[in-house]
Amino acid sequence: MDKPHKGLPVDSLKYYVWLSALLIAVFMVISPLYLLIKYAVSDSSSINTGGSPIPLWPYHPTVRTFLYLFSDRQFYSVIINSICIALGTVFLSMILGVPAAYVLARYRLPGRKLIVLGLISVRLFPDISSIIPIAEFFIRLNLHNTYAGVILAHTLLALPYVIFIGMSAFETIPGDLEQQATVMGANRFQIFYSILLPLAIPGLAAAALYTFLLSWDEFIFSYFLLGLGKISTLTLYLKQKLTYSPPQNLLATISVCLSLPVIMFSLLLQKYMTAGITSGSVK
Amino acid sequence: MADVVVKGISKYFGEHRVISDLDLDVKSGEFVTLLGPSGCGKTTLLRMIAGLEKIDKGDLFVGGKRYNDVPAQHRSVAMVFQSYALFPHMSVYDNVGFGLKIKKVGREQIKQKIAWALSMLNLDGLGDRFPKEISGGQRQRVALARALVLDPDVLLLDEPLSNLDTTLRDKAMEELKRIHGQVGKTIIYVSHNQVEAMTMSDRIALLNAGCLEQYDTPRMVYDEPRTLFSASFIGSPVMNVFNGQIEHEDDMMGVSTPIGFFIFDKETALRTQSIAGSEVIIGVRPQNIARADHYAARRYSDTMVMVTVELVQSLGDRSLVVGRGENETIIRFLVTREDDIRPGQQLPVFIDGRKIHLFDPLRQTNMLSK
Repeated sequence: MDKPHKGLPVDSLKYYVWLSALLIAVFMVISPLYLLIKYAVSDSSSINTGGSPIPLWPYHPTVRTFLYLFSDRQFYSVIINSICIALGTVFLSMILGVPAAYVLARYRLPGRKLIVLGLISVRLFPDISSIIPIAEFFIRLNLHNTYAGVILAHTLLALPYVIFIGMSAFETIPGDLEQQATVMGANRFQIFYSILLPLAIPGLAAAALYTFLLSWDEFIFSYFLLGLGKISTLTLYLKQKLTYSPPQNLLATISVCLSLPVIMFSLLLQKYMTAGITSGSVK
Repeated sequence: MADVVVKGISKYFGEHRVISDLDLDVKSGEFVTLLGPSGCGKTTLLRMIAGLEKIDKGDLFVGGKRYNDVPAQHRSVAMVFQSYALFPHMSVYDNVGFGLKIKKVGREQIKQKIAWALSMLNLDGLGDRFPKEISGGQRQRVALARALVLDPDVLLLDEPLSNLDTTLRDKAMEELKRIHGQVGKTIIYVSHNQVEAMTMSDRIALLNAGCLEQYDTPRMVYDEPRTLFSASFIGSPVMNVFNGQIEHEDDMMGVSTPIGFFIFDKETALRTQSIAGSEVIIGVRPQNIARADHYAARRYSDTMVMVTVELVQSLGDRSLVVGRGENETIIRFLVTREDDIRPGQQLPVFIDGRKIHLFDPLRQTNMLSK
């Protein structure tokens, strides 16, 4: 027997409600992005219109602001700073986080839950409130205005994520594999190095990418620790430009440069995240 | 090659004792199966021999050397896990070679040994494949090759065939037996499958609730079960069990049961004379009950019983009949598939008095075993 047809009008109404909700959601996500890109390629006459309405798309789209930005030596040094700090953060977080994740995932430690709680406690407070004591502490240690200081601060933020993603990566690896390797004569280090690490790579890569992005667009910690001193990051550069009330198109261009790696890596990350989830399913 | 001696080993998981005071000796080159229902401690015992589980009490000797405190990676044993535990990121070749690399064997020698192991298990040409690219049967053989290539004193196998379908399992059993003949290794094999245990083992160690019920050749375990547990665990279909009492009747020695008086053969009669009058548990295998008109010549020790058929299950070449005798007692027996037997039918069957097992109702041990 076919289903009764009376359900159809209700279904199609439901369909239109869903569709319009979806469209609104997409609009809300897309419109800032659209504005960002629009301003980034706007010529000045499309911004300062002298009273007439701002056009939906610039009269004469141009990449002049990009050219201007890339001719600025400060911009280059800022990008290099941001990359160095992000890579340093990735390096330090992985060195500290991966072994910690392994231990937490594989050993029955006393107080394991307490340790995990301690790890996330940094992230339980808003960054703006945890930065005050951290900044004071770092200043006392003369870590402000140094690469080491800001890398350390970013590591503090990233470490819980690295440990959590790492733990789940190690937990998906069947314990039989380790025991098998043990019976075959491998010691703890050999097992970690040749069995666990290669199998956890997809998950750990995701953690590394995430850490990179976290450091790349981090503002509050960088702002308090570096101020507007000698070392500047891309986010601080944007803030610095903001203070001089520059044309919108320049700000938008900096923002695009800031967002591009985030969007790129997020797409990559998605792929790795999925790979990380399924990597343990091999029987 | 080495012998394995287990002396008074106990194992606790918290308060729970999973193995109690167990003794077992496995001769050098012997194929022994640890058989038992799930939770009987067989895998735990195997893991203790491998060094993956601490021995709480007792001693373990392999090749005369006390192994209790030797860490797993220094024991000369190899193990195949139920899951095979193949390293998914390594090719078959690297899987098999992993242990040799760890042991720092020379490159040329590794090559030779891997080639030997792969050809021994008919895996030639699969070296470059990854575990997910080969079939279940091939994975099982890779796991075995990976164990054999290390040339261990003892080979431990934890239900290696339980993930295979029946056809593959039969083939794998033959192959395992062949390999045992070729390499002559001491093999300790864990299984809950009595067919595997019966076909491959030199001796079966039957475990129940952490205790050794019986340790004998497959034939002895079947013919002379030492305990009621052995009797009902081994053999298929499951043994018929009745309560009864040993008695004299018309000068015949026998046992009275709810479905009638079973007459003993001479030998059993002689051996039960001293315990006449005792309560017993009687065990009769379905194979030792036959349709009355199938006996060419009746022996005096055959007892005829009338059965009302309730259920007929086809086993392929034979059929299992489940019926009820007197006093609603359930009785199971086998008929050939040519017998056209239907539920509701009344049927006379003979119980073979020479194949009756008698068990002490209290201690559950066989009263006839020597």
